[in-house]
Amino acid sequence: MPAEVFSAIPRVDARDKVLGNAQYGADVILPGMLYAMLVPARIAKGTMRELDITPATQIAGVIRVLTSKDVSSLAPKISFLGQPIALVVAETIEAAIEGAEALNPVYEKVSFIPLMEGPGATRVPAEGFDAGDVDTAFRDAATIIEGEFETPTQHHNPIELFGTVAEWSGERLTVYEGCQNTEAVKSALAQAFNLSPELVAIKSAYVGGGFGQKSPPKLQTALVAYAARLMQRPVKLVTPRGQLFHITSYRPRSVHHIRLAANASGRMTAISHDVVQENIPNGAFRSSGYHQDIARLYSIENFRATAGDIHIDRQTPRHTRGTHPFPACFALESAIDELAYALGKDPVQIRLDHEAKTDIIARQPLSPHFLNECLTEGARRFDWSRRTPEPGSMRLRDGTMVGLGVACGLFGASGSAAETTLRVRADGTTRVISSGHEMGQGIRTAIANTIVQRLNINPDRLEILIGDTTVGPQMATVGERGTASIVPVTAKAAQALRARFEELAGANPPAGDLHEQLARLKRPYIEVTVSELAPGQDASAIQGFRTAGRAAGAGADYPGFTSMSYIAQFVEIHIEPRTRRIRMPLAVSIADIGRVVSPVTAKGQMYGGMVWGFSTALREETEIDPRFAGYLNDDLADYVMAVNADIGEIDVGLIDKPDPMVNSAGVKGMGELVMLGTAPAIANAIYHATGKRIRKLPIRIEDVL
Amino acid sequence: MRPISYTRAGTLEAAVKAFTAAGADARYLAGGTTLYDLMKLGVERPAHLIDLTGIAGLNIIETDGDVLRFGALALMGDVAYTPAVHEGYPVLSESLLKAASQQLRNMATVGGNLLQRTRCMYFRNGAGSTSTVGVYPCNRRQPGSGCAAIGGLDRGHAVLGASDACTAVSPGDWPVALMAMDATIELFGPGGARSIPIAEFYRLPSDTPHLQFNVDPAELITAITVPKTPGRASTYHKIRDRESFAFALASAAVAVEMDGATVRTARIALGGVATVPWRAQPAEDMVRGKTLTPELALEAGRAAFRGARPGQHNAFKMDLGARVIADALMIAAERRS
Ligand SMILES: Cc1cc2nc3c(=O)[nH]c(=O)nc-3n(C[C@H](O)[C@H](O)[C@H](O)COP(=O)(O)OP(=O)(O)OC[C@H]3O[C@@H](n4cnc5c(N)ncnc54)[C@H](O)[C@@H]3O)c2cc1C
Repeated sequence: MPAEVFSAIPRVDARDKVLGNAQYGADVILPGMLYAMLVPARIAKGTMRELDITPATQIAGVIRVLTSKDVSSLAPKISFLGQPIALVVAETIEAAIEGAEALNPVYEKVSFIPLMEGPGATRVPAEGFDAGDVDTAFRDAATIIEGEFETPTQHHNPIELFGTVAEWSGERLTVYEGCQNTEAVKSALAQAFNLSPELVAIKSAYVGGGFGQKSPPKLQTALVAYAARLMQRPVKLVTPRGQLFHITSYRPRSVHHIRLAANASGRMTAISHDVVQENIPNGAFRSSGYHQDIARLYSIENFRATAGDIHIDRQTPRHTRGTHPFPACFALESAIDELAYALGKDPVQIRLDHEAKTDIIARQPLSPHFLNECLTEGARRFDWSRRTPEPGSMRLRDGTMVGLGVACGLFGASGSAAETTLRVRADGTTRVISSGHEMGQGIRTAIANTIVQRLNINPDRLEILIGDTTVGPQMATVGERGTASIVPVTAKAAQALRARFEELAGANPPAGDLHEQLARLKRPYIEVTVSELAPGQDASAIQGFRTAGRAAGAGADYPGFTSMSYIAQFVEIHIEPRTRRIRMPLAVSIADIGRVVSPVTAKGQMYGGMVWGFSTALREETEIDPRFAGYLNDDLADYVMAVNADIGEIDVGLIDKPDPMVNSAGVKGMGELVMLGTAPAIANAIYHATGKRIRKLPIRIEDVL
Repeated sequence: MRPISYTRAGTLEAAVKAFTAAGADARYLAGGTTLYDLMKLGVERPAHLIDLTGIAGLNIIETDGDVLRFGALALMGDVAYTPAVHEGYPVLSESLLKAASQQLRNMATVGGNLLQRTRCMYFRNGAGSTSTVGVYPCNRRQPGSGCAAIGGLDRGHAVLGASDACTAVSPGDWPVALMAMDATIELFGPGGARSIPIAEFYRLPSDTPHLQFNVDPAELITAITVPKTPGRASTYHKIRDRESFAFALASAAVAVEMDGATVRTARIALGGVATVPWRAQPAEDMVRGKTLTPELALEAGRAAFRGARPGQHNAFKMDLGARVIADALMIAAERRS
């Protein structure tokens, strides 16, 4: 099976999306529905001493104001600006907003630590890693490269806000909400309301972008569910973006101190990587995670990682697309570029020369992978050979400075035990019940393609049920494991169904497609339910999957091997001679994601990842005023993201060779991977254009004036 | 519920009458792209909206007479694509097309554009709306409350025309082009019709930054006129943090009249760097009567920023602004026929 190449089908939900038929959480309108608005704390730290709710309850249409007296999580202790202190519930959205704005709590402020620097900010060490003998390697080194690299606080900013609708029917709770992990929301709510989990349903058929922002359960969901129960009416809350900046997670700012050692023959012998990031105590996004992927990128024998956190008085940072490898690759891949210059080597060649075969952390082989193919194919398409190595040596006739840069990225190919139920009916319809969340990445299209390439069914009447806890257990769609987990089990289901059919039909099957064949056999349908484990898992994993436990996930280090997905990015940067606008007329992005299941949506991921990579390098930064610990540019006009006019030609390619070890379909993930490497490739190209090494993102016009 | 009355005026007189009757918390409404935005932020909390879009003839675009005449309600997009403007006055057309997005330009009027408010985030955030969280002092929004931008995150702020009370940038592009072209603003108010040169329309913040415009709140803008000088050799050059849909970091509206390679006159105005649309007289003086070279153009650019006062994070705007003027001069001169 892994040998099969998938042909391309269009995105299955494109039509519904274009016509506005795809329903997101905030689109849901229920009879008798009430509207809610959160009241954000207007101080960064301290205690709310008084909250008189009458100014709100006096407003016509306001029904109820929930405070700490109703819900303990609306505690008067404030630990970040914007923390919800109350929820106003009203007949209309206008009344809810007006009620929320009418409240005037009395606060007692205390001092706070807004940023990693400044009084009170101290480093708390985190777990490190040490392999080989780094000290000796540096002592014996012929060349040492050293630098400090920084990536800023950035917010995810998916277009879809947090939109929640909750409805009770007796003891049954139904929540409509865009989220990446419906099962976690379900268990959190069951626990909060002391309900048996089967009484809680979460429906998240479409998610308008997640990027990690929508994976943890949210306070908002519980508050809305609570209000709905109290009021015995459905309640909707859509949180405005300005508040979301202050209450959702974000990518924490991190500072990386990196040192590379090379010996006299130009081989890299050691890497030492130290990182410190902003965090809250016991934050879920660990500084000990930064070295995990980059330590596996190149063949290296000595690697030391040290890490720490500086605790700040803001909300909790968490995973953001690209997660740990995004900043870590920026640091490492910029430093490798510096090393290439120091050694007088070509930046592509130095990478090719250090192809990794083993995982230095798990001390085991890496499964077959194709980073070097990504590099050589990228170099070919990009015409890397036109590059003259000297910084500042390439110019257009009008004086425009030209820089060509390359960088790589990698991400762990994890997977999960999973289950798929497939039913093909004689009436021409097919139904798949599977697991995962459609966030625009195209998981529905991948599932559809897995089936239509194996079974002769009517693709237009194929229903794919995911993102709904009432149809079956839903795995967290995080860490680019969704497609890699669902496709193998779905392929297996298609195969099982075919086997079942052949058993039924015997030696002389009737003619027609599968539906017609079933009709001729007078079978209304056949159905199979199939489960699949990740490598090294036993049956307890599928039990874990069914009960939504954490035990279902595995990798990227599996027993006996480690599997990673890889990308190589090539960018051409032009810098205007006088005003120094930085532009990217051409980018080439080539990835090894194992077998490509859905070519159309996979390419879509590649384009989107490149665009966001550009945006993180040259545009995005959350601005924090330390005097208030508040996010200043908290809207989409002022949080500057890339727009179409910013993006030149992008050429993307996929190696499309299966990883035979990682799963039966040979599929690895790509959702996180695709935005790695672009930022360092751009910084490297800017160095090539100008001779100026910029080690802090985002790179702005003033950095190159 | 906070009530809002809405009146759709049919004539100028009716609009002014409705405004006067309603009092201080009335606002005229044109495209609404500034007003609604500020209402959501709580910066504007009008009780009466007087819609001007039903007044006949207020959206005219006349290019055949002695002057170019744009009714206050003409849409940004329509003015920009009017052939006589697009071809004859690139500085005007480009200032509109490099502003906002096509969707906004299809709603927003050239009159409302003159009255847009600063994008300073300390001004926008802090009015207690649930759309935002921060509580920032701002003399422009709340006189006497202080200026958080001074000593704060002022990368986007003004280096020219700032005071100790306010350093907020005047955000508009179109007003900068009008400033270079010596436009006149026609007004109609309780006292009848009058007109003022655009140079007198905007107020420096000094110690009253909340007063931005030299017009009576009850006065309507009825039209903008631009003298018909040779306009082809002109440009609006705008540098921003991305290639589209962003306000200027530094911009220059430049129109030149040339005798061969020699500059007869240059009109230069700056955006993104000053508290009001900024006429750069010293730069104009420097090039007048001289052969235009890239070096001279840059020298002129530098002259425009003599006396500029940077804050903590915006000193680069002096350098960038000078370069923008230089490039704009060269682009404009190249367009001479
Ligand atoms: C996301 C975004 C990006 C933008 N980017 C840019 C940009 O890059 N460059 C740029 O220059 N602009 C930009 N703008 C601003 C935009 O150009 C203005 O909002 C628009 O021109 C205002 O026109 P309007 O007709 O919508 O005004 P309205 O919102 O209707 O009115 C604005 C103000 O003027 C008053 N008013 C309106 N018409 C009259 C009149 N005839 N007489 C008296 N008073 C009147 C109103 O009472 C109100 O106070 C942007 C706006 C947004 C929302």
